[in-house]
Amino acid sequence: METKIINKQDLAKLIDGLISAGARTVAPVKVGQMHLFQEVRSPAEAVFDYFLARRSPKEFLFPQTEPIFSYTRQKDSVKIHPVDMAFPRTVVFGLRPCDAAGPGILDALFAWDYEDKFWFNRREQTAFVSMTCAQADHACFCSSVGLSPDAADTGADLHLTLLDDGQRYFVEAPTGKGKKLVSEFPSLFKPATDSDAAARGSAGEKAKGLITRKLDLSNVKQWLGSHFTDELWERLSAKCIGCGACAFECPTCHCFDFQDEATPEGGVRCKNWDSCCIDNFTLHASGHNPRNIQHKRYRQRIMHKFKYYIDKFGKTLCTGCGRCSRQCPVTLDIAEVLENIAAKAASGS
Amino acid sequence: MNSNGNQNIYQPKLIRVIDKIQETPDVFTFKWRFVDEKENEAFDFKVGQFGEFTVFGEGESTFDICNSPTQKEYNEFCCRVVGKVTKALSKVEPGETLGFRGPYGGSFPVDKYKGSNMLFISGGIALPPVRCVIDYCLAKRSDYAGLTILYGARTVDDLVYKYMLKDWGSRPDVKLVTTVDPGGETPDWKGEVGFVPAILEKMNPSRENTYVVLIGPPIMIKISMQVLGKLGFDPGRIYTSLENKMKCGVGKCGRCNVGNVYVCKDGPVFTYSEILALPQEDI
Repeated sequence: METKIINKQDLAKLIDGLISAGARTVAPVKVGQMHLFQEVRSPAEAVFDYFLARRSPKEFLFPQTEPIFSYTRQKDSVKIHPVDMAFPRTVVFGLRPCDAAGPGILDALFAWDYEDKFWFNRREQTAFVSMTCAQADHACFCSSVGLSPDAADTGADLHLTLLDDGQRYFVEAPTGKGKKLVSEFPSLFKPATDSDAAARGSAGEKAKGLITRKLDLSNVKQWLGSHFTDELWERLSAKCIGCGACAFECPTCHCFDFQDEATPEGGVRCKNWDSCCIDNFTLHASGHNPRNIQHKRYRQRIMHKFKYYIDKFGKTLCTGCGRCSRQCPVTLDIAEVLENIAAKAASGS
Repeated sequence: MNSNGNQNIYQPKLIRVIDKIQETPDVFTFKWRFVDEKENEAFDFKVGQFGEFTVFGEGESTFDICNSPTQKEYNEFCCRVVGKVTKALSKVEPGETLGFRGPYGGSFPVDKYKGSNMLFISGGIALPPVRCVIDYCLAKRSDYAGLTILYGARTVDDLVYKYMLKDWGSRPDVKLVTTVDPGGETPDWKGEVGFVPAILEKMNPSRENTYVVLIGPPIMIKISMQVLGKLGFDPGRIYTSLENKMKCGVGKCGRCNVGNVYVCKDGPVFTYSEILALPQEDI
């Protein structure tokens, strides 16, 4: 893998350079007490000394809401107006390895048989620059789903690790897109020495040590396959209020809805984030709802992430970022649910 | 892999309603053609596939294409008025423009059925998704052995496709049994009176060289399955079509996911043995 060094001033110049080149440049920005990924107009807006953004950067490939076509209507005729599916070059800085893993997990879903060009056209235009974690908390469990807080290759195009001196980042370029970004701004990237590589190694070890929550998921999928009905579901998810916050912050939740906004003259259809935990997700027009009670909806969330998606697309639909636990208004902790399942699986119950 | 190039898979094509038939007080059939003639020539689908139909300004709903692909002049869908889109549809008149995406989903294996007896069992508004198979078998009549149709509804008024029932009933090469729920009969009703599974039991069909297409309300399916089980039918030879709530129709939006399948893409046609292998959600 190509490796380089970039110092903090040059990282600011890189951001500046991309803004000047017309790229939509996104970074964590402090908004009130939280950090959010937002487009920045100057490098000074970007905050890299931070924990994790409130929402994953999924929205830069798959916005919370977007028009998929509009139309105008006259007496007996309708004219459809396609939306522009060419998207601007975008570079997202400062995401964590867990967030960088999200898009690669979702590619298979957005590609099978029918390609969602809203996703893939943006994907082609977007580069991700991830950073080794500097903080973690009890909700983090990335290492239990095969990721790591210092991993360069979870899906980012460039990965940056801040070295001991606090001034220089060790740069890894795992993809062609990342290498191209380096070659576009050659003066900003300096050669990395063997001692830099060693320093990156120890910084990575330090980051790995931040993750204290270790889950044994080895038997979870198998248990889920034979426990669609189990007392655990109701017991653990009775407090779920079905707000959907978990899905909206998740890097891998992909369920969506269509809604029409219309006047008699015309309208627009939008594709909006949705969640299997919201009560009308499977509600039929007839009033029948196959998931008529909250624990059935929460069960779908766990089943989809830790069994169905793996069976279907070969990947766990979770990056262990912990957002759904951290931000849940009723402190429903996904890691605790998984721990309970693992314990049941281990005890054969 | 994908076949849609740079197309927007969520954008409908325009279709025009060319005829509307009121089947029952709250069920309507719509006959339609694409507005663009070239689309009519290019359009093809398989027996049992569905479409996403847009009423502009109201939304999009999922309906089966309920005619056989051997019928080329126009296509049909049928719906009961229950929600926002179907209420709007009930007011749509011939000449008006709707949107269509499709055809989507898998189909009934009509080639595999060749040479076999076919037993069609259906209730209420579920005759349209069965009818596409019936029409196909009738269009290729010599490819199939005996055709038996059992269809029931709550009342005589609620029977859809009365004109087709008349036609099927008059054919010597089709055995048609119609029934209405007890109390749903009229003085001049000549069919059976009783729930579909009870009539099925009375008919005592042979499982020999027979495939079953069974679509109806969940309770009718459940009890009919018990009867077919008693009669020795193999669940692997019983086909149904699931009607989960869908939005995208192309395996992305997650709404119709049950177990390891996305009903829109992996179904909607399943054998009963495949359904028994799914988590038993109340679908």
